[in-house]
Amino acid sequence: MEGVITIVQEGRFQLSDERGVSHQFVLDRAALAETEQLRPLQSRQARVRVKYTDASGLISLIAHRIELLGPEAMERL
Amino acid sequence: MDDRVDTAPRDGYHGAPNRPLPQSDSYQDARDPVEPVPTSRERDMPKRPGWSGPTYYGRSQLKAAPFDPWIVGGYVFLAGLSGSAAVLSNLAEGVWGKRAADVGRRGRYLSMLAPTLGSLLLIVDLHTPQRFYNMFRIAKRTSPMSIGTWILTSFIPFAGLGFLSQLGADLFKLKGLSRLARFSFAPAAVSGAGLSTYTASLLSATSTPYWAAQPKELAMRFAASSIASGAAALALGAKADANRRTLETIGAAALVVELAATVMSHKTVKAKGVGESLKSDWGKTEEVAALGLGVLLPLGIYAATRLRGRKPTAANDLAALATLVGSAMLRVSTLGIGDDSASRPEVSLRFSQPENLPPPKRPR
Amino acid sequence: MNVHPRARDYTQSSLGKLIPDESELTAGVKIEPGKQYGFFTDTTVCIGCKACEVACKEWNNLPADNVGLTGHSYDNTGALSANTWRHVNFIEETGGKGVRDNDQNPFQSGWLMMSDVCKHCHHAPCMEACPTGALFKTEFDTVVVQQDICNGCGYCVPACPFGVVDVSKADGKAHKCTLCYDRLKGGLEPACAKSCPTDSIQFGELSDLQARAKTRVKELHDRGVHTAYTYGTPDGPGATGDMQYLNAFFLLTDRPEAYNLPAAPTRPSNRIAPALTAGLMTLAGLALAAVALMASSRQEPPHGR
Repeated sequence: MEGVITIVQEGRFQLSDERGVSHQFVLDRAALAETEQLRPLQSRQARVRVKYTDASGLISLIAHRIELLGPEAMERL
Repeated sequence: MDDRVDTAPRDGYHGAPNRPLPQSDSYQDARDPVEPVPTSRERDMPKRPGWSGPTYYGRSQLKAAPFDPWIVGGYVFLAGLSGSAAVLSNLAEGVWGKRAADVGRRGRYLSMLAPTLGSLLLIVDLHTPQRFYNMFRIAKRTSPMSIGTWILTSFIPFAGLGFLSQLGADLFKLKGLSRLARFSFAPAAVSGAGLSTYTASLLSATSTPYWAAQPKELAMRFAASSIASGAAALALGAKADANRRTLETIGAAALVVELAATVMSHKTVKAKGVGESLKSDWGKTEEVAALGLGVLLPLGIYAATRLRGRKPTAANDLAALATLVGSAMLRVSTLGIGDDSASRPEVSLRFSQPENLPPPKRPR
Repeated sequence: MNVHPRARDYTQSSLGKLIPDESELTAGVKIEPGKQYGFFTDTTVCIGCKACEVACKEWNNLPADNVGLTGHSYDNTGALSANTWRHVNFIEETGGKGVRDNDQNPFQSGWLMMSDVCKHCHHAPCMEACPTGALFKTEFDTVVVQQDICNGCGYCVPACPFGVVDVSKADGKAHKCTLCYDRLKGGLEPACAKSCPTDSIQFGELSDLQARAKTRVKELHDRGVHTAYTYGTPDGPGATGDMQYLNAFFLLTDRPEAYNLPAAPTRPSNRIAPALTAGLMTLAGLALAAVALMASSRQEPPHGR
């Protein structure tokens, strides 16, 4: 899913996708990204692509991989 | 079980259904004399086996530990085994000297179980294992898990050096290496003693009723079980000589202490109202596997073989094996019973009553 | 009605941006680091609206975890968990056997509602148990889990006498109420306290809250609610066993077990010394016995008959 990270709290973030629908994500424990790396993404409203699966027992999605899109695409998380 | 709160008149509770209602609609008139209702602080709670007052829809107020009983129980067993093997083999080499070379060798090999397999089990049980190194950020005296991390860390270099030198001495037959093995391994006895018993304080320093009810008794059980398993492992399959006989006697002594500690433990647990958990599936497992298989069977075998003659037989190997399995099952079932006590309100609410509070410290 | 003088500066109904020290207007307290802050939850004015649960989930971006109906009165959340940091308890004490009474006791004593939360204990057992130092006391005297340090060992979970903190299966770390640490740093009062329509959840400086609670208990006693008491104030229930006091304390009208609270919690770290001492003494005794046995076998020939 591609979109903009709008809210970040601890290891959870909200992504607004192309259609403007917001989705809730929890960062997977095995993801390479660390929790403190999410905050700067939110403050600059970065566009990202998230590889995810559905969470069991939660109304949420688990983010396994976050890729930066756009001019900062050289950086990978 | 009806999981709704019991609203029928309750035993010993002078609560809302029995309280006289105000006679008028006005709250002002509610100041008319109403029978004073004792709060739970003032009320003398009768000693009952389990909590029979209202519960919150059958939920406990506590959460059970997220540890896997087999993984963490397995680690605790290995820590006790390695630690006690270090203690006993060092004592043997100190008292017997050269005669104990074989015991010393076994001790050094056994002591590697906790640093290798044990540490692996600990890391696997973490829910974010890639951050295991954060355990080394601090040393906190109020956290037995922190204390234990440092005990294990101080055990590893001496055990490792002893193991490597012993391995070198066995493979390359260098005399100097076996001396190095013996002396570099000696300090491991100190941290080995810590390893053998700190895990009981780890469990007691929680709010889980079964563990919190018996800090001393649990520590005694774990310490005795560790020595028994160390002695059993040092004796298992060894040559039938005086060394082995003495180790078995030491193991038997430790099992007797464990038996006494188990009796004390059950008594304390029942007095604090947690006895219900002893009747759970894990409680039954503890009785059969830890007490029966791990303590009574080996004691019986040792007694029988001593009465018959002085040479150890194959039955002694069985006794040693049973001690080891029982020691492991003691740790696993202790974790399981603890989880049960934290999950059931009949036990958890009964435990956290004022009568179970420790006596207030007398001012100096 | 008390209106703070600053309120006259902000007369529009929706503020475009953050105002400095908003908590002065909404909670009557200026938030400064170095002071003790907490909650006083007066359950006698709780209406069970669950605005606190919703506000907490919204602000902290928490996923919904208890999905489905429990059938336990209006409580479909169940308990505090890694993703539920505010939980409203509902206990119906009148109207047994499916028929509601026509007469009700005043001050919601016939139907209990309480908003449960992390107690932010003074001697927090979770913090004392944490081996990585992830749990710490903030400058506002609250207890917070640092998410970039926690490795999910889960030792804080059984340590808590109130069953608050939990490890999340989704991200493998421990979570609990942070008393909106990020909001406090920005001069805002916590989300639950702000959204509570009856001011059942009051946020403020601890000494101030305790004084308010004392006055309220006396007032309730005068009005006939003799079962009212505070839970978590120094030397009260909830603060027994060397817990000292809870920064988030409650005014209850029934015994603690009815609200799923322990009547007499204890501070777990006081059990470390007795356990270690007993264990080491046992080891010392067995070691001495071992040495004695080994020494006596020294007299025997090294190999058996």
